This record gives sequence, structure tokens and C-alpha cells, in this order.
Amino acid sequence: MPLEIHIQKDVGPQNTGAVTVRLTGSLDTVTAPELERQLAPVLSGPIKDLVFDLAQLKFISSAGLRVFSAARKQLKGRGGQASFVNMQPQILEVFEIMKSLPGVAIFKDVTELDRYLAARQRSHNE
Amino acid sequence: MILELQATPEEVMRAVETLRAFGRERQVAEKDLFGLALALEECGSNIVNHALQRDARRKFRVVIEHTGTAVTIELRDRGPEFDPTQVRAVETATGEEAQRPGGWGLQLVRRFMDEIRYRREADENVLRLTKRLVRTKGQE
Repeated sequence: MPLEIHIQKDVGPQNTGAVTVRLTGSLDTVTAPELERQLAPVLSGPIKDLVFDLAQLKFISSAGLRVFSAARKQLKGRGGQASFVNMQPQILEVFEIMKSLPGVAIFKDVTELDRYLAARQRSHNE
Repeated sequence: MILELQATPEEVMRAVETLRAFGRERQVAEKDLFGLALALEECGSNIVNHALQRDARRKFRVVIEHTGTAVTIELRDRGPEFDPTQVRAVETATGEEAQRPGGWGLQLVRRFMDEIRYRREADENVLRLTKRLVRTKGQE
């Protein structure tokens, strides 16, 4: 099972400045290095909010968790955050292991996430 | 089913795909298959990355069995002796993953498998993972 990676800057009406990464397929020992490679230029920019949309992610192992954790660490260093949305139950169960880490936020769906990001942007602007 | 695999990540995932096909042919529930695939990925990756140091000339073996009420996965490698059942659970409350073999991977294996047994047999590490199967309505 391969991994498809789509990276997109938020261009919605809220324009929160977040970058969304949509993953489809399997994030495992073979595919995790490719995600790490594609995230490197994104993380070297000024972004603070990175959103992983996992609606189509079917499988994840600790190799994938480590990529997420490294991204979270970089973002946290600049006051940012990694958010995870639309997780299927089996993916959420794997996430139990790292969901308590600082700089990680999990949202049920995009509506919940958008509300959070909008509030976060308002607090940055104040 | 017996698989002879080279010590590469691609071979680990080939074993995982074979396990999925094996399970689906035997109507193993997808929830159980997910946990089995995860455990095989984690333990296979530990062998490739730590025991055999990603040396593609070296091989390890995976045996998959279905007993009707459980699936077992046995992994055999000729790396240095390493008993994952003796690795203490990583304390994630403090935040970061330990940099020792296994780390989060072993925690996941413990979470998704019902039984993990290790033995050293001659010069081989033998790790046996067991998952008792969920009974679906049609199987009752």
C-alpha cells in the first residue's frame, strides 16, 4: 500500500495561515522517509500551524509517529502546533501513544479544527 | 505460511501485505488484521534496523499460522540476542520516545497483541506473537 502526500496552504475563507498535509494510504517503515523529505521545506518556512488530515490514512506504525513527532517538536520550538484531524478509529488507537505530547492537538473533524484555528489566529492578532 | 525475507524495509512491507492477504482469505476481521499488520511491521523493522543492520544480504524468517481462534506470527533472526519482552515500557508521560531499539514500536506491539513470547534457540532470536481473534456475527 503506497502513501500519497498532498501539501496545501490554507486558502479557505478563514485563511488561518495553516498548511494542510493530506495523507492517503500507508505511513510505514518504507513510506515515512518520503513524508519526512516532503515536510522538510515546509517546516523550514515560517509556518506555525501544520494540519495533518488523516481521513484517508489506512495504516500507521511508529515510523510514521516519529515523523509527526519530529514535526511537532520543530513547530513547538517556534510556538506552533501540529494538529491531526479526521482520524479513523484504528489510527486513533495508535495515536493514543503520543497524543499527550505537548504541541499535539487532535480534532474530530474540519469544523472543529477551523473553529480552533480561527480562535488561535484571533489571539495571535490581539 | 513461511516467508524468507531480506533485511530491508521493503521486505518487511512485503511480509505485511502477505499477512493481510492471508488473513482476508481466512475471514479474519479487519480490526484484528490491522493489529497483526502493525505488530509484524514493528517487529520486522526492529530486526531489519537493529538486529541485521539493514544488510540486504542477511535474511530473516516469518511464519504465519491461523488456528481458527487465533493468528500467530513467529519471527526468527540470527542477530545478537535481544529479548523485547524484557524492554521496560517507555515512559511517554515525560514526552519523548526513548532512543533504544523498539521504543514506541514495542508499546504498540504490546497494545495490539494478546501474547508475546521470546526465546533464544541456538543462534536465533525467536519471537512469537499471538492475537486472539474477534468473532464476527457470521462466525458465531
